Amino acid sequence: MDILKNKVSLLSIVLLGLMASSCNDPNKTGWEFAPNMYNSRAYEAQTQWRSNSINPHGMNMRLPVEGTVARVTHPTEFVQDDGSVVSDLMIYDTSADSLEWAANNLVNPIPWSEEVEDEGKVLYQRNCMHCHGSKGAGDGKVAEIYKGVPNYASDALSSISGGHIFHVITHGKGRMWPHAAQVTPEERWKIVHYVQRLQLGI
Amino acid sequence: MLPKKSKFSFDGTFSMARFALTKKASIYNRDMYKSHIRILLLLLLSLSAAPLTFGQGSADGDPALGEKLFKNNCAQCHAYDDAVVVGPGLKGIEERRDYQWLKEWIQNPAAVIASGDDYAVELYEKYNKTQMTAFQSFGDAEISGILAYVKQANEAAPVAADGGAGTAAAATADSGSSSVFNIVLIALLVIMGLVLVALLAVLNLLSQITKADGGEIDTRGFGERISGGLKNVFQNATVRNAIVVLFLLFGAKATFDGLYSIGVHQGYAPTQPIPFSHKLHAGDMEINCAYCHTGVYKGKQAGIPSASICMNCHNTIKQGSPNIQKIYTALETDQPIEWVRVHNLPDLAYFNHSQHTAVAGLDCENCHGEIPQMEVVEQRHSLTMGWCIDCHRQTDVNAKGNAYYDALLEAHNSASSENMKVEDIGGLECARCHY
Repeated sequence: MDILKNKVSLLSIVLLGLMASSCNDPNKTGWEFAPNMYNSRAYEAQTQWRSNSINPHGMNMRLPVEGTVARVTHPTEFVQDDGSVVSDLMIYDTSADSLEWAANNLVNPIPWSEEVEDEGKVLYQRNCMHCHGSKGAGDGKVAEIYKGVPNYASDALSSISGGHIFHVITHGKGRMWPHAAQVTPEERWKIVHYVQRLQLGI
Repeated sequence: MLPKKSKFSFDGTFSMARFALTKKASIYNRDMYKSHIRILLLLLLSLSAAPLTFGQGSADGDPALGEKLFKNNCAQCHAYDDAVVVGPGLKGIEERRDYQWLKEWIQNPAAVIASGDDYAVELYEKYNKTQMTAFQSFGDAEISGILAYVKQANEAAPVAADGGAGTAAAATADSGSSSVFNIVLIALLVIMGLVLVALLAVLNLLSQITKADGGEIDTRGFGERISGGLKNVFQNATVRNAIVVLFLLFGAKATFDGLYSIGVHQGYAPTQPIPFSHKLHAGDMEINCAYCHTGVYKGKQAGIPSASICMNCHNTIKQGSPNIQKIYTALETDQPIEWVRVHNLPDLAYFNHSQHTAVAGLDCENCHGEIPQMEVVEQRHSLTMGWCIDCHRQTDVNAKGNAYYDALLEAHNSASSENMKVEDIGGLECARCHY
């Protein structure tokens, strides 16, 4: 009986130890009843558990055909206060070296309203604030390391036009890199409204 | 205070005017009139010349004005001392370049570079072709003010360094307090150990005394006595049964726990190809989740950021780090970084991020836990169906300002006095997530 008990206790210790170790390995997902449901046989954009033999780089995702226009950046229509419709966000008219042209000619197609500015503020907080700071003073946490982030309300920038701001978000300027891939044109114009508020330095 | 130069020009004008008066006074009125005009003109000229000649360097500038301007406009790229931030440090700038050059440069750096000025071109090349912003609105007063501030700040610098040493001493004192805490902890442990030994000794003594009273003294060794005692305990049937029952209970619990954890990835924290720290980026640096996971408010997938998003900052920050070099290699060889997916729902369940973030207005941390505190991201919550449903039962629908819910809200409010929960609008329907 003693020997049996010793064996049982020994076994239980080993089992417990195994379970503990299998549960705690952070690199393992643990047991799965139907692994195919987690590692899908069908191609999924954001799950890549085996190399794809058809696409470049073995990826499930692939680049769209050259010249593809994303639906989300397609020109959208805005009805202005006076009833006129602006149907061009003017995103195809700008190239990286057209800053001066953009600054002089581009006009924000989204009419200002308090709601639009609030949306711009939220978008600013998501996309810009970590460098440009909560009040646009160039004092975000990242700016402390990245350096060279200007103050919107500084003498050189306080009078800059909306077209200029739109162009800089789209194509970057100086040390700032282009953000066209992350922020859609519509979002950019909304951010422009909020940045123009920050230019006042209030 | 009027600068010397403008005073001189005032004096000069007045003496000339006096000269003109004495010379032309005796001649007739018309000439007199003319001379008056001349005086006025000269006066006007001297006045308009005054701001031009005002300030030609730090000696003439107002450092208080300069400090304000410097902090607002220059400090983002230039240090007042010789440290390089983006552009060169400004210490000794007046010895390097003359005032006229500086003024032209500040007002329009592009034009100075375009004019082929050797120094300007060299500067432009040296600092990675980063062009300085033009400050066209800056006149002599502003520029000399800034120069005055730079000079003043550098003269005051040694005092500031002393202050720095003070804070360093404070920092060491701070780390000292934590080591004191450790020492106290160890001392406490030692004392507790000693107390334990003393108690055991007392126990031993007492048992010997009782044994001596009752009969023979136990002469066996300490180990032998313990094993003897244990043997006695295990030979007791009740104890044996209790152990068996306990073992069965624990075994049953472990089995059920194990079965329930099948298909649950809670605690999964895989090693990533680059040890990206969410604690650093989302926590310390306060970068919003949506900056990198761009799809989180727009679509089903939050998305894994492409290497180009890393480059928005890492084109400059920590270039030399071997892990950052992996990003560069990925971009140069066009070979994607193979991040390991952490949160993965089985295909049998449909989940859409935008519905929960943009529509319901939930924070990422609701489901993902405190990512800004995680060095390595782990799946904090179980993400099981029960967990989803719990939330759907408890959460009010975020119907405010969303016309889609107007009719639903009206229908719900006419039938119930409770808030409209997700379950009330079909949040528990099977086909809502399984189809």
